[in-house]
Amino acid sequence: MAVLKIENLCKTYSNGVKALDNVSIEITNGMFGLLGPNGAGKSSLMRTLATLQEADSGTAFLDDINILKDPTNLRKVLGYLPQEFGVYPQITAYQLLDHVAVLKGVANGKERKELVEHLLQKVNLFTKKHEKVKGFSGGMKQRVGIAQALIGNPKLIIVDEPTAGLDPGERNRFHNLLADVAEDVIIILSTHIVDDVTELCSNMAIMNQGSMVYKGTPQAVINELNGKVWQKIIKRNEVSEYKTNYTVISDKMVAGKPLIHVLADNNPGNGFESVQPDLEDVFFSKINVTAKTTV
Amino acid sequence: MFKEFFIKELGSALMRPMIYIFTLLMALAGALMVIFGEDIGSTGNVHVNSPHTISSLIAGLSMISLLISTAFFNNAALRDYKYNFNEILFSTPIKKNGYYFGRFFGALLLSTVPLCGIYIGFLIGAEIGPLTGQIEADRIGPFFFENFINSYLLFILPNMFFSGAIIFAIATKWKNTIISFLGTIVIVVASSIAGTLTSDIDNETIAGLTDIFGAKAFSIDSKYFTPNDKNEIGVTFSGILLMNRILWSIMGAIIMLLSYLSFEFISKNQKVKKEKTVKGEFNETTILTNPTFSINFSASTSITQFFSFFKLNFLSITRSNLFKILFVICAVMLTVNLWGGFDYMGLKSYPVTYKMMETVNGIAAFFVLIILVFFSGELVWRDRDSHINEVIDATPHSSIYSLIAKTLSLVGVGTILNLFFIGAAIIYQLLHGYTKLEIGVYLQDFIYSAFPMYIIWSCVFVFIQILINNKYLGYFISILVVFLLDIIFLILEIETNMLSIGAGTSYTYSDMNGFGSGLLGNNWFNLYWILFGALILSISGLIWVRGTTFGFKNRIKSIKKHLTPKYTLGLVVISILWMATASFVYYNTKILNSYESNDQREADQIRYEKELKKYEGIPQPKIISAKYMIDIYPTKQNFLAKSGLILENQTDQPIDSLHFITDESWNMKLHLKNAKIVFEDKELGYVIYQLDKALKPSEKMILIVEAAAITKGFQNQLTNQFLVENGTFINNFEILPSIGYSDSYELDDKQKRKKNGLPEKDRMPKLEKTCSSNSCSKNYLSNGTSDWINVETYISTSSDQIAIAPGSLIKEWKKDDRNYYHYKVDHVSQNFFNFMSARYEVARKKWNGIDIEIYYDKAHAYNVDKMIDAVEKSLKYYTENFGPYYHKQARILEFPRYSTFAQAFPGTMPYSESFGFITNLENESDNNVIDAVIAHEMAHQWWAHQVVGATMQGATMFSESFAEYSSLMVMKNKVKDDMKMKNFLKYDYDRYLTGRAFEQQKELPLYEVENQQYIHYGKGSVILYALQDYIGEEKVNNAMKSFLEEYRYAKPPYPTSLDFLRHLETQVPDSLNYLITDWFKEITLYDYRLIDANYSKKSNGKYEVTMNIEAYKLKADTLGKETNVDVNDWADIGVYADNDEENLMFYKRVKFDQEKMNFTFEVDSLPVKAAIDPRRILIERNIKDNAKTVTEVK
Repeated sequence: MAVLKIENLCKTYSNGVKALDNVSIEITNGMFGLLGPNGAGKSSLMRTLATLQEADSGTAFLDDINILKDPTNLRKVLGYLPQEFGVYPQITAYQLLDHVAVLKGVANGKERKELVEHLLQKVNLFTKKHEKVKGFSGGMKQRVGIAQALIGNPKLIIVDEPTAGLDPGERNRFHNLLADVAEDVIIILSTHIVDDVTELCSNMAIMNQGSMVYKGTPQAVINELNGKVWQKIIKRNEVSEYKTNYTVISDKMVAGKPLIHVLADNNPGNGFESVQPDLEDVFFSKINVTAKTTV
Repeated sequence: MFKEFFIKELGSALMRPMIYIFTLLMALAGALMVIFGEDIGSTGNVHVNSPHTISSLIAGLSMISLLISTAFFNNAALRDYKYNFNEILFSTPIKKNGYYFGRFFGALLLSTVPLCGIYIGFLIGAEIGPLTGQIEADRIGPFFFENFINSYLLFILPNMFFSGAIIFAIATKWKNTIISFLGTIVIVVASSIAGTLTSDIDNETIAGLTDIFGAKAFSIDSKYFTPNDKNEIGVTFSGILLMNRILWSIMGAIIMLLSYLSFEFISKNQKVKKEKTVKGEFNETTILTNPTFSINFSASTSITQFFSFFKLNFLSITRSNLFKILFVICAVMLTVNLWGGFDYMGLKSYPVTYKMMETVNGIAAFFVLIILVFFSGELVWRDRDSHINEVIDATPHSSIYSLIAKTLSLVGVGTILNLFFIGAAIIYQLLHGYTKLEIGVYLQDFIYSAFPMYIIWSCVFVFIQILINNKYLGYFISILVVFLLDIIFLILEIETNMLSIGAGTSYTYSDMNGFGSGLLGNNWFNLYWILFGALILSISGLIWVRGTTFGFKNRIKSIKKHLTPKYTLGLVVISILWMATASFVYYNTKILNSYESNDQREADQIRYEKELKKYEGIPQPKIISAKYMIDIYPTKQNFLAKSGLILENQTDQPIDSLHFITDESWNMKLHLKNAKIVFEDKELGYVIYQLDKALKPSEKMILIVEAAAITKGFQNQLTNQFLVENGTFINNFEILPSIGYSDSYELDDKQKRKKNGLPEKDRMPKLEKTCSSNSCSKNYLSNGTSDWINVETYISTSSDQIAIAPGSLIKEWKKDDRNYYHYKVDHVSQNFFNFMSARYEVARKKWNGIDIEIYYDKAHAYNVDKMIDAVEKSLKYYTENFGPYYHKQARILEFPRYSTFAQAFPGTMPYSESFGFITNLENESDNNVIDAVIAHEMAHQWWAHQVVGATMQGATMFSESFAEYSSLMVMKNKVKDDMKMKNFLKYDYDRYLTGRAFEQQKELPLYEVENQQYIHYGKGSVILYALQDYIGEEKVNNAMKSFLEEYRYAKPPYPTSLDFLRHLETQVPDSLNYLITDWFKEITLYDYRLIDANYSKKSNGKYEVTMNIEAYKLKADTLGKETNVDVNDWADIGVYADNDEENLMFYKRVKFDQEKMNFTFEVDSLPVKAAIDPRRILIERNIKDNAKTVTEVK
């Protein structure tokens, strides 16, 4: 049972942006969802954990490996799929995985060949192994990405925004792949897509503006909102008026009209009806409300 | 519509800094060229801002202008696409022609602006130059506005138009900046191919026309411009240049129109992303068993990782289109270069390995450098550009292996390219029937030179890219380092190779001496630089951006993280090795072997003249006999000499002190009895001995000189190229001190003398009608230290070599496994001796009691028989026409190709391997340069070794000019064909006319020649050849013979050129007396033109030819300023029976006494072409207008 323990991690960029603001969290085996809007600091946290970026202060340990001080040892047990996973032009899927396998210490040629072929089968790209990755579709490329992240039995797998740009079918397949390996290792899935977390994660956190605004299970946080979320279809010119009068956590268009969700302990009346909260409501309530209070 | 786009194009460019930067840079360059004109080699009488200088510069800046035009035209063509504005723009109702041409001509005008900056720079430089004190005001001439207009219209505009048309077309078609730049490279290569075509003067016109930028055409048109012409005439609408400009402008227009016609607003052929989108079916039922594998991070894993990196990097270069294109260009260059063969005066050389290596290395070095610069950036940025950096960076590999892999894959690519070309060179040799394949030599040369270079530069470029952390800035800096660093060192006069990246002792491969003495230093320097490369590569590993660290401060911070104990250890080890090597190199080049900087040498020269000039001309004894004891140790490259000299006081006063200038590098030790040193300046090597008892007139004394050149370690640059393992060649001046103050050690450079307060110095003493007291007592060979003396040499060398010195071999023996020889000259000679040793093959033949001997390397037997024949023919002609040969042997000795010359010592003539021994004469039955050179050196046995001129203007006329003439006569009597002689003499005309164009001080008439090669070889041979044609060969020979008889081996006073003219005058008929004045005493040129020529067939079957001619005669002053004088000269007119001017069916000598004349004569058969001076006897700058097709009149 591996434990990832982050304490008081801080990072401020030279332009003054506070990317990580005293982040502390403990993560154990299984799929962990890190939810947050764009620019919340997810990628900064992911990169820091992947030893690609320095932190200003704080500590991060995977079991007894000091991630910040001893990056080399962490890299040996790390699988990482960055937000932007590009590939070399001119290189086939097999060559790419083979190269990464070497880098991850699978030095024996024969073993490596078996491993790479196994992974290619696992991500169902075995028949395409001698084609250039450049020509792959987004989903296939992501499968190559996850295949390389799985090389070498990592204890910690970090996947940053893996499903952005995938069609629903590919997204499903991708989720299945992750779920397959999630039992024995820590997988941190950073995403801004709420459904990713709903579907996959047993534990989660929500990040906004560099800090953790929620840590726990998805169900617990949904339960927090039970009976507090209300919805109403309004006219388009009324949106700003509602936003001043209610704690609007989200507004989206339904059949061309705005559907707003508001947060209220009691029925606000005025045509609002109760709605069963979902993770999306949690997400918006956490980030929009904090936004409101901090502004 | 045109106007809008045109103005918009201009406006948008004027808003951006590029055009100002380019123009400013050009102006700066121009100003610096004026201010530092002297320092960058613009010396002599041509103004630093002469119209010719500026025009040549503008023409020569075509490469840079190409970068400018690429930038402007590419920008104009692509701007709308770059900002994806095209779809919006093209959906508006604009017209294609207005859009296309508006942009094109806007860019054209813009691209011509920067080069105009050169003019601004020259104007500014001319104003402020003299104020800076860097340049004298008299070195700056007036500004010619017309030349500015002309060079704008003839160079800047058409060059920008042509290259712009291509780049605009490429950019519009492919819409890709990289491809535009490739277009630029193709243009550069194409123009340099045209450049390789001018290896001989026969195909000048083709070379001039094919040069895209017109620089070559201009240089051909102006190649006979005298300094005076250059100061007044720039570029004009005439000659080959005009044709060239018309040709390339039309080509440009065609390209532009084709591109215009194929240009469409609608992107018809926009590539629909055809990249195969591979569909992968996801079979979720697959059940897999996990394979077992082990993970370990041992050293062997690192090696595996390294190879994996290497493979991917290497493939990414070799699979890229850019590499493929460069490879093809490179192969084309090589083919073209080899196609031209190796010409020398119309003869081809055998494709010996070193010639092939030079060609391969030249091309490979250039292209590999481009590849290294470009792909160093690509590789360093590859992960980031492909967005895979985060994945790679997060794996547990050590960055340094990745960097080493990048570096070595660059090296690997260079190596592959180079080896490929070596293969091509070998195939070329085989195709030319040259079967002596020396693959080992190719490979050794590669390992000694190109390979280390690739390693060093790869490290440097990777380091730069990592340090700068910006790809394009990195490229810029890399190029700057390659080109600018050495220029900076040159300006700062830093001469040590320890600072100039990749530099070292250079070596020259010679068939005779292999890689030679430079190799040791070369290899140590290579090691030094490779360790330097390893060191900066290790530092690169520390500052390498791993992960997404931003900012320099963070990179510095992360150094600490990279510095593992192992890494630190490696760094320390490399540093120590590097420093140890550096110390060793320093010890060898600076302590064991020191060298003087240029500055130091000049300072010494100045001090020498200022402090010691007072001793000039004080009476000193002369050497009257010499005995040399020489021991050569080829393997150690040591040369020990002990010279026993007998000195005699030939003056009429007692001499109480002896002055010597010794050479430090020869560790000279002087032994004089009853004398003590009273003055010694070790830096200058000047030493004065006071004799205990003064040497009375005609009293003798003995001087023993020990001199030793001991090779120790290696040098920064080889100082003595000829102290070698096989092919040692040392002459006696090196091993003897100078006696008395000699002005030959003084500083010559006119401007530098002026700057240092030294008076103006004549190149040579003035010619005197009657010799004053001492002026004819010295000859220019021994310069007063001796006259005709007896010399003996005892010389030894290793057992596998033969050692040679002038004279007959008296005795030969072996002792202590060494070969000993004793030579003695058969007749008194000038004290001008050579000492040689090599593993020679010898070919011998006897001719009238004289031993003809050719000493050659066994690989170079090709022309030995021909050489013997040439020696024989020379001996025959010279003994018949000039008098006896006083030696019992005539030897030709091959020496390594470190210099290309042949030289005549008494009866002994060293001849460079690169020049004669490897020339292909298989199909040459007629005149050839090898025969000519041998005949020339043989002639020196009479002209220089039997009679030699007083140290005075005109002295070399009767050594060099006579030797050239004699050699021409040998040739003339062999080929007996005027047209063949004309074909050979064209090189002499060219030598003279080109030489005078580059005269630095003043051109003099032949009889006052100041050791100027273009005059005593070029003009001298032409004039004497013409003279024998006018007055007869016998008369000229008679004059030479009677002159020789008067002065042969005679004691001083030595003769002057006037003494020869005295003998000549008696042989010249009065009617031709003007020739002596025109040809010997003044600088005369002719300008003849055939206006038209026609013929009519007469009833008797003959043809009557009428030639309508113009004739001018010009006298030139020392700067080449010409004035017309009255025409009153004999010249030839004639007709050819063919168009190629080979069959001269008729010619006669007529008198030109007016500027416009008609001549009529009859010939027997049909004339095709008529010509003035058809055999080319007279000196004319332009002979193209001398001949014309004859037309029939009814």
